[in-house]
Amino acid sequence: MVSTEQRQHAEHVFLSFRKSKSPFAICKHILETSKVDYVLFQAATAIMEAVVREWILLEKTSIESLRTFLLTYVLQRPNLQKYVREQILLAVAVIVKRGSLDKSINCKSVFHEVGQLISSGNPTVQTLACSILTALLSEFSSSSKTSSIGLSMEFHGSCKRLFQEEGLRQIFMLTMEVLQEFSRRENLNAQMSSVFQRYLALANQVLNSPLLKKKKKKNQICFYDSKIREDSDMAQDSLQCLAQLASMHGPIFPDESAQVSYLAHLVEGLLSMINGIEIEDSEAVGISNIISNLITMFPRSILTALPSDLFTSFINCLTLLTCSFGRSAALEEVLDKDDMVYMEAYDKLLESWLTLVQDEEHFPRGCFVQPAIQVFNSYIQCHLAAPDGTRNLSVNGIASHDEEEINELQEDDRELFSDQLSSIGMLGRVAADHCIPLLTSLLEDRVTRLHGQLQRTQQHLMASSDPGSVDRKVLDDLYEDIHWLILVSGYLLADDPPGETPLIPSEVMEFSIKHSTEVDINTTLQILGSPGEKASSIPGCNRTDSVIRLLSAVLRTSEVESRATRASLTELLSPQMGKDIVWFLRRWAKTYLLVDEKLYQQISIPLSTAFGADTEGAQWIVGYLLEKVINNLSVWSSEADLANDTVELLVTLVEKRERANIVVQCESWWSLAKQFASRSPPLHLLSSSVQRSLMKALVLGGFAHMDSDTKQQYWAEVLHPLQQRFLNLINQENFAQISQEEAVKQEIVATLEALCGIAEATQIDNVVSLFSFLMDFLSSCIGLMEVYSNTPETINLIIEVFVEVAHKQICYLGENKSMKLYEACLTLLQVYSKNNQSRKRGDATAEEDQYQDLLLIMELLTNLLSKEFIDFSENDEVFRNQEQGTPASSRAVSAADVVLYGVNIVLPLMSQDLLKFPSLCNQYYKLITFICEIFPEKIPQLPEELFKSLMFSLELGMTSMSSEISQLCLEALSPLAEQCAKNQEKDTPLFIATRHFLKLVFDMLVLQKHNTEMTVAAGEALYTLVCLHQAEYSELVESLLSSQRDAVIYQRLADAFNKLTASSTPPTMDRKQKVAFLKSLEEFVANVGGLLCVK
Amino acid sequence: MADEDFDCGESGASTTFPMQCSALRKNGYVMLKNRPCKIVEMSTSKTGKHGHAKVHLVGTDIFTQRKYEDICPSTHNMDVPHVSRKDYQLSNIDDGFLSLMDDNGELREDLKIPEGDVGKDIEKRFDNGENLIITVLKALDEEQVVSIKNVS
Repeated sequence: MVSTEQRQHAEHVFLSFRKSKSPFAICKHILETSKVDYVLFQAATAIMEAVVREWILLEKTSIESLRTFLLTYVLQRPNLQKYVREQILLAVAVIVKRGSLDKSINCKSVFHEVGQLISSGNPTVQTLACSILTALLSEFSSSSKTSSIGLSMEFHGSCKRLFQEEGLRQIFMLTMEVLQEFSRRENLNAQMSSVFQRYLALANQVLNSPLLKKKKKKNQICFYDSKIREDSDMAQDSLQCLAQLASMHGPIFPDESAQVSYLAHLVEGLLSMINGIEIEDSEAVGISNIISNLITMFPRSILTALPSDLFTSFINCLTLLTCSFGRSAALEEVLDKDDMVYMEAYDKLLESWLTLVQDEEHFPRGCFVQPAIQVFNSYIQCHLAAPDGTRNLSVNGIASHDEEEINELQEDDRELFSDQLSSIGMLGRVAADHCIPLLTSLLEDRVTRLHGQLQRTQQHLMASSDPGSVDRKVLDDLYEDIHWLILVSGYLLADDPPGETPLIPSEVMEFSIKHSTEVDINTTLQILGSPGEKASSIPGCNRTDSVIRLLSAVLRTSEVESRATRASLTELLSPQMGKDIVWFLRRWAKTYLLVDEKLYQQISIPLSTAFGADTEGAQWIVGYLLEKVINNLSVWSSEADLANDTVELLVTLVEKRERANIVVQCESWWSLAKQFASRSPPLHLLSSSVQRSLMKALVLGGFAHMDSDTKQQYWAEVLHPLQQRFLNLINQENFAQISQEEAVKQEIVATLEALCGIAEATQIDNVVSLFSFLMDFLSSCIGLMEVYSNTPETINLIIEVFVEVAHKQICYLGENKSMKLYEACLTLLQVYSKNNQSRKRGDATAEEDQYQDLLLIMELLTNLLSKEFIDFSENDEVFRNQEQGTPASSRAVSAADVVLYGVNIVLPLMSQDLLKFPSLCNQYYKLITFICEIFPEKIPQLPEELFKSLMFSLELGMTSMSSEISQLCLEALSPLAEQCAKNQEKDTPLFIATRHFLKLVFDMLVLQKHNTEMTVAAGEALYTLVCLHQAEYSELVESLLSSQRDAVIYQRLADAFNKLTASSTPPTMDRKQKVAFLKSLEEFVANVGGLLCVK
Repeated sequence: MADEDFDCGESGASTTFPMQCSALRKNGYVMLKNRPCKIVEMSTSKTGKHGHAKVHLVGTDIFTQRKYEDICPSTHNMDVPHVSRKDYQLSNIDDGFLSLMDDNGELREDLKIPEGDVGKDIEKRFDNGENLIITVLKALDEEQVVSIKNVS
């Protein structure tokens, strides 16, 4: 047994061996004599590292002979362990790569050698040739695969460019040669087949390489036959090759017809392949990738130029394949497989359909309708329970029904499957004639059954009082059916683009218009307006507008749900279905409610009659939606997600002025507002985020059009009670004494939550009134900070109010208002600081509480600083001038003052332990870098202690944090050094600090292994620091040089330093010089890094 | 911790109040395993896609700092302890007991110096002649010194 120490010792021996100087002779000796594979491996590694390190010291001829030695060595020893051989070849590749930079090695001759190896016909030699090519390819191609040989990314990049001009093509040609030869042969023995496979893998790698620009084109690779399919690895590789070939486009082809014939060739091969085989699980993803690449990459004009028979066969094949993968994906879900290959393949194909039908106008009219119907039907079938569908049926037709635990982190289906649903929705629009009526009839049927089932269950419950005896299986099946039907309907009828007003999809609009002459509008409205009745029981129900009828079907679902809650059957309902309903209604309302005729070229009469502005229909449905919201908020308070979706529907109804105008005419809106304002049950049971959004909605509603009396009355009902109750409470003489009573604390918390909600309602046109309303509270909040100084949870919430107000409002505020907010924030921070000075806490959550406070404070400061970047206020000119020009002393406070004061509070509290919270750490360093960049002139004026801790933070961040943070800190250094240079005062603390940073950055760049991504940030910092401290920089260089005992290295090093500053002597803070310096720095780091590593 | 049954029987009604589980909030308080806890984690889950929400609560005992967990349907009511804090001025330390005076000038001498860092800090700062404010946390008739601060 080898002990840990022995192992560590051995590792140490090898590591130091690899660093030894000029180990070439000894390595050769080891390679020739040793029989231990691991030792051989280490010798190869040592050679590789030493060659690169000592490159500039070595004679070119000795490098060449070393390379030849390694190649011959491998050739003569066919029985080497694979990992030893690969390592030696890697050494060869690295040598070639390093040599290509100074042109001391010619790639052409290397390829010539390899070509000879290949034409030898000896499988062993061919395998070796393949390994050489593979090593070269991975060494040259992607940056992630290259060996770390201490050279800059710039070097790797230029190698890559050189290589792709010539090397890549060479490799591809050589590979194709072998592949063609092998595919011509009838029988392959095991050894040859393994060589074949290696080259196939190589071909795949070449085709995958993003370097491949000009390449020998197509080359009939459609030899995907039984020979290859037997071997799954080979099959994977060749499918990937095909996928790469399918994505070929652009300047490879001389003209369009060449591209068309290439595509035709490819599609024919593909079809005959797919039709000739029964697809294996492992092939599904590969095949779908080929198809997806084909459809995404080839221009539409090329696709449509295909012979029409071929195109039709292709589309038919795609249709069948999609349906079949969809069914297999459903099976995978039932079996709960870890590896969902069919699901992945299905996703790919659906995505391809989306691409195709989005460009429908390029293709023959209607050519996608039948395929769309088939794919749509199969999707619906897979998602419905038996007998209509096959959901949860395993292969032998047995239904499985398991109840798994679902946690809150799991996404809702509407997000999890949003890509699939978008495609299916789009296909549904293409075949609207079929799909919309289908969805309607399925949904109406399920709703009727749900209604019946609930009634039966209710009777059952009345007969036997044991709720456990209810069989939920039938109900759950119905809920799941309805769930998917509503999701598909939602995606079919409307889009939900973030931040835009969605339009009614043109296909849906056309569909409604096309049938409008057959439609009886009155019956349609009757069906819409009577969600409590069965649609089919209404006379003339088959002459209704189908789009409205589908909405009506969802409203019927909603009605069944609401009635069940009123019958106290809430326990039996599905919160998921509740979510689906309000999600659908929100999506629908955004697009269809008060449809704006100006936005459309043509408009459907049924749609505009039912939902247009100033229609009874629109008024009716707003009223209905409000009732729904109110009902949900009272019966579903315990379902946070459902309550959230519900309140989001409410926000949607009022965030657009036109909709809000109708909402505020509804009595139920007023009673909701009053109910919430009076904090009467059951709204107070809602979670705090729902309460905030509810407050937001109520405030937004207040900006709807109302006559002035009504408006006054509204605010008197909604906001004034809040203010009144709050003021009554805090103005009581004994407030401090009663402040800890439960009722008082609850009132305070509710008020603070409401304030956050009010801030969230801020829009550019209401900011004036909301700001002054909130400002009154902010000053009272500071009083609360004193009273609740010993109650951390309340303090936290108070800070959050400030964060929200700053976040939502600062960008709109003009000079005076900004000033007020700055002052308020400053006072808040002062009080916070006073409360925590000399406080010592002993409770368990002390650290967590402090962490939360600090995070919020930094968020507040960052929000205030954001004014520097985003400013929508009108008189921001005035504001800016004042920032830069006149000293802020005469005029109250500036953003800088508040932020620096805040930093003063935060800094002493930022213990190293707290910095271990990643989010806090990031926020903190972002903030201090911001400050150095925006207010460098303020830094020298900081109090001594604060200044010191700021500098310490920078040093800590630079040296011992993640590279991201280190980069942030480096970025902060340049503005500081520039500030010093501007002041021209020596011996100020900042001047001394920057001198210290010069040494740190110098060491970092010259002596330490650092992340090459950081070279730029560090280089910029170094340059400005060098400008500032030229003498110190010379000293650093001198002392480094004097420590070198080797004369050659000394000279090289001295030359490198001279070259580094050659273009910038004497260094000045001039952009051009700085750029020149940065350029020579990269070369410097590449050369010197290696030199100083040599012992 | 004399007798929990006794606590609940006589003073339970006034020391806690019921609240629907879903209305609890992180950083708020709740009774877990009969102990007053601060909620440090709150998450929901459900059984099956169409199941109703259950709330999973993790809390730390505000006195012993031990961790407790509980899971219950979100419609259920949980007991929430009345938690209050009161500041006193420290006037003397006598034989391990603190002499504390509240805003109304009333004196109490029944609280011991707490164990741990806070206790040591109190003694040290009191010996230095600093004027100290002591915050006492109270819930379910249990009390504890949780923080100290100089008079500003």
